[in-house]
Amino acid sequence: MIRNLRIIALVLLWVLAATRPAHAYIGPGAGFAVAGSMFVLLTTFVLAFGTILIFPLRLLWRLIVTGNPFKHAKVKRVVILGLDGMDPGIATRFMQEGKLPNFQKLADKGVFRPLQTSTPSMSPVAWSSFTTGVDPSRHNIYDFLTRDPCNYAPMLSSTDIRSAKKVLNIGKYVIPLGKPSIKLLQKSQAFWKLLGDKHIGSTIQRVPITFPPVKFNGLLLSGMCVPDLLGTQGTFSFFSTKQSEEGHAAFTGGEQTVLRRRGNTIRSRILGPANGMLKGAPPMTIPFTVKIAADKRSASFSFDDLDDTFTLKVGEYSEWIDLAFSAGLGQKVHGIARFCITEIDPDFNLYMTPIHIDPENPAMPISHPTVYSIYLAKKLGRFATLGLAEDTWALNERVIDEEVFYKQAMLIADERIAMFKDALQRTKKGLVTCVFDTTDRVQHMFYRYLDPTHPANAGKDTERWSTAIEQVYQRMDAMVGDLLPELDREDTTFVIMSDHGFTNFRRGVNLNAWLKENGYLFLTDDVETSGDWFESVDWSRTKAFSLGLTGMFINRKGREAKGIVAEGAEYRQVRDEICAKLKELVDPTTGEKCILDVFPATEHFEGPYRFDAPDLIIGYDGGYRNSWDCATGSVPKEVFSDNTKSWSGDHCVDPRIVPGVFFCNRPITTETPHILDMAPSTLKQFGVDIPDYMQGQPIFTDPGQGGPVSGPLDPTTLSQSGSAPGALVHKDGQASAAAPASTTDASATPPAGGAVTSPAEPAS
Amino acid sequence: MIPLLTLFAAVNDFFSAVFGVLLAPFGEELDWSAWVDVTLWSVAGGIVALIVYKYVSNQKGIEKTKNQIKVHLLEIRLFKEDILSVFAATGKILVKNALYIGHNLLPVAVMLGPMLAIMIQLVALYAWEPSETGSEQLLKVALDAEHPAVASGEIRPTDVELLLPDGVRQLSPPVRTAHGQIVWKLQADTAGEHVLRLVAGGITVEKRWAVGPDAPTRVPVMRTKTWESLLYPGEDPMPADAPLLSASVAYSSRDLGWMPGGELGILMMFFALSLGAGIALKGVFKVTL
Repeated sequence: MIRNLRIIALVLLWVLAATRPAHAYIGPGAGFAVAGSMFVLLTTFVLAFGTILIFPLRLLWRLIVTGNPFKHAKVKRVVILGLDGMDPGIATRFMQEGKLPNFQKLADKGVFRPLQTSTPSMSPVAWSSFTTGVDPSRHNIYDFLTRDPCNYAPMLSSTDIRSAKKVLNIGKYVIPLGKPSIKLLQKSQAFWKLLGDKHIGSTIQRVPITFPPVKFNGLLLSGMCVPDLLGTQGTFSFFSTKQSEEGHAAFTGGEQTVLRRRGNTIRSRILGPANGMLKGAPPMTIPFTVKIAADKRSASFSFDDLDDTFTLKVGEYSEWIDLAFSAGLGQKVHGIARFCITEIDPDFNLYMTPIHIDPENPAMPISHPTVYSIYLAKKLGRFATLGLAEDTWALNERVIDEEVFYKQAMLIADERIAMFKDALQRTKKGLVTCVFDTTDRVQHMFYRYLDPTHPANAGKDTERWSTAIEQVYQRMDAMVGDLLPELDREDTTFVIMSDHGFTNFRRGVNLNAWLKENGYLFLTDDVETSGDWFESVDWSRTKAFSLGLTGMFINRKGREAKGIVAEGAEYRQVRDEICAKLKELVDPTTGEKCILDVFPATEHFEGPYRFDAPDLIIGYDGGYRNSWDCATGSVPKEVFSDNTKSWSGDHCVDPRIVPGVFFCNRPITTETPHILDMAPSTLKQFGVDIPDYMQGQPIFTDPGQGGPVSGPLDPTTLSQSGSAPGALVHKDGQASAAAPASTTDASATPPAGGAVTSPAEPAS
Repeated sequence: MIPLLTLFAAVNDFFSAVFGVLLAPFGEELDWSAWVDVTLWSVAGGIVALIVYKYVSNQKGIEKTKNQIKVHLLEIRLFKEDILSVFAATGKILVKNALYIGHNLLPVAVMLGPMLAIMIQLVALYAWEPSETGSEQLLKVALDAEHPAVASGEIRPTDVELLLPDGVRQLSPPVRTAHGQIVWKLQADTAGEHVLRLVAGGITVEKRWAVGPDAPTRVPVMRTKTWESLLYPGEDPMPADAPLLSASVAYSSRDLGWMPGGELGILMMFFALSLGAGIALKGVFKVTL
């Protein structure tokens, strides 16, 4: 750096000295231009010519040390397109209806089969298995959340973020002496790191559980579990002149600011992250002004101390707005957010997305190398960086409606498509993987439209967005159509896969309430219910508790801080007893069993981290899932409750009924591909040795060769169960009507069975 | 039509008057070093340039072009394994750099006048030291080859006569070159602004020589007929009908403390300081450079 500066200074002096004094009369105006372009030219020279000059040496060195990295490769490129949550049943139905011609083309030419998923069947777990080629007991991700065994408090399974250990106090300032620690808790290693070690480059975009990014020979943009600027998994803001009786309103996943309107002008402020450089860490803020247009159709926004001013019409999203929060001492923390006016008159309602980390000025590492996100942002424009970018909680809380949510999801999908195309253009050899979350989020939020009797339909529109899921599948199909000419080649293995499928989520089950009813969980004497995070749980008597979406923990001695169940016989007895009872658990409203199977961790897993696993993983039947309050460790009176939230579809059930999809442009060797097979299969395609610890098998056939398994999916092999009306397909290849019931009464009995076939064998 | 030299003289008079007013609170009144003045004026020049640049330039175009340049630089950094990409990115950077310079042409054109004025005044005020009493100095005079009398050979270097005022001595006979230059070696025994008279072809031209501490603030360096008279506002331009092209005294550079002195030194400092101020304050004024 110093050398570069010296060179620049010398060149500058030379330019000045070489000219006659009169010619140096160019001043700062020309100076800006001269200095700017000189800097560019010098940097270009150093970078480009350096790279070009060193290239032959690097090539030679590589040939000597490792030889041709693609010597044993069967293909030049493997492209894996991840469509999170894409369901084989729903896909088959749309394909039968002729709505997904490009997926159909791929299935006809290559193969389409269900992809067996992880236990439990949720994205952080399944994508971790995809990444590492091992099951959860080896990568140690069992859910989004786990409990801290020291105090039963919730903690993120994937990432541990801690502020700098040492600080310097100067007056009101707290100066951190060192960097905060951000650690990925996922164990094992990504298969693209193994490729990189063999000089086979990869571009990995938005694969879940890749935050913070781990160094490897390739490019990576982190996905699910990247926090927002506040450090949460997504906190939206809602600015409204509406006022509740208490003077404010609170939502899960967001905060409301009550606005006061003076004529057509409103002043408020955006609450940013806590300012760790000040004592007490007050939040940083950006004041802003809204001026409502006289015709009440739009409003203009201006931010104090920021350049951005813009005008928005009702229901329209702003571009990403750069929110630079000033922390003092010249430090700024950059975030980005979009705004949308949801109502303008008589009340003014403004929705602001969670504040994403600005990819152009990342406050935390969200890519490897760090400049990769900067490159993407500068080339393609700013983009959503939050792990769970589509704001499902804002729709759940009805702060926004389906239309505003859908628009947001599509904006993010478009950003992702551009990013993916750039990766394909840039990575002509090696691995390209990009995961789209749109399919998952839209199915979560619009599944109720496929089930007219869904409890979440009460008081909500059931018509207008009834084709939202179909539209998203078609959007993805169009993208595949764009890419097929480039990707369906002999030298390319092209895979489209999902981490799990989807099913209905009509009824919530609070296992903590059930444990309390059955004498396994106790509250302190004076209360009947407990708030979130086991607020009133009496740990001295509690034998088991549930946290997260599928896990149940035994309060084991020596593992949990106040564990009471001894290892050995007592543990096995408690576990087996609960297991047996859960399998018989019946929903009194329907009279049906709600759990298909329960998976004891010690029997289901063999890896080194099985001791940290939830002791029981619940395999719900379709239509059921842990209730919202069970996931956050609360203990209500009732075990069963209707799910009335817009989040109406889910996949945290028995993994056998929600397999993902697997499309490939070449035949494969098995009828039952598994998500664990992806890593070893890709390694083999590049001729890289498959490590012994990987649990899957290579499944791709060699280019130009046939294989035992090819062609479209036989619908009779679909293992849907429970009320999953979106995926109902006729076995003779005809799509069925999605709605088995004619009533729209939300309390009506759910459609039972449908296209039920027996679950396949448990995923290993 | 106004003769060019008259226009130059008027421009110089105007800016000298303006600077005279602006400089009144500074300089010797406050008894601070000249480098402080140079620094202040350079920084002020940088700020003026910044503001002008903001409103005259295509800020969005510049931002976009710079952004594209950065993208291609990052491409070289990120995709160094793909040598064709590196070549392509390098080519694109050169093209975009030309576009960036293109974006700067209009603001440079607009700023050229005011910036020249500031620099000329700074040079005139701070670049040279008046000669010390008793010191030797060279007076250089050049004949105007295009003047009819010179071109016809009617006036030759030997025909130029120097008339010295009291207190100034000629130390040796003048040196005359074949290119029409005459150089006298002079010594001033007394302080003051001496008026040297040059007579050629019946026309007398005055050239002032500043000697001693009470010399004028703008040191009279050169009288000339060319555009360069704009750069030396200490004296009027050479009369258009004179057979002389220029007459100059070679003063020594003024001591500006830590700063490099002289014409080039001040220009370099102005360039560096104004540029530094512009870059440092671009965020404050929200300007994309």
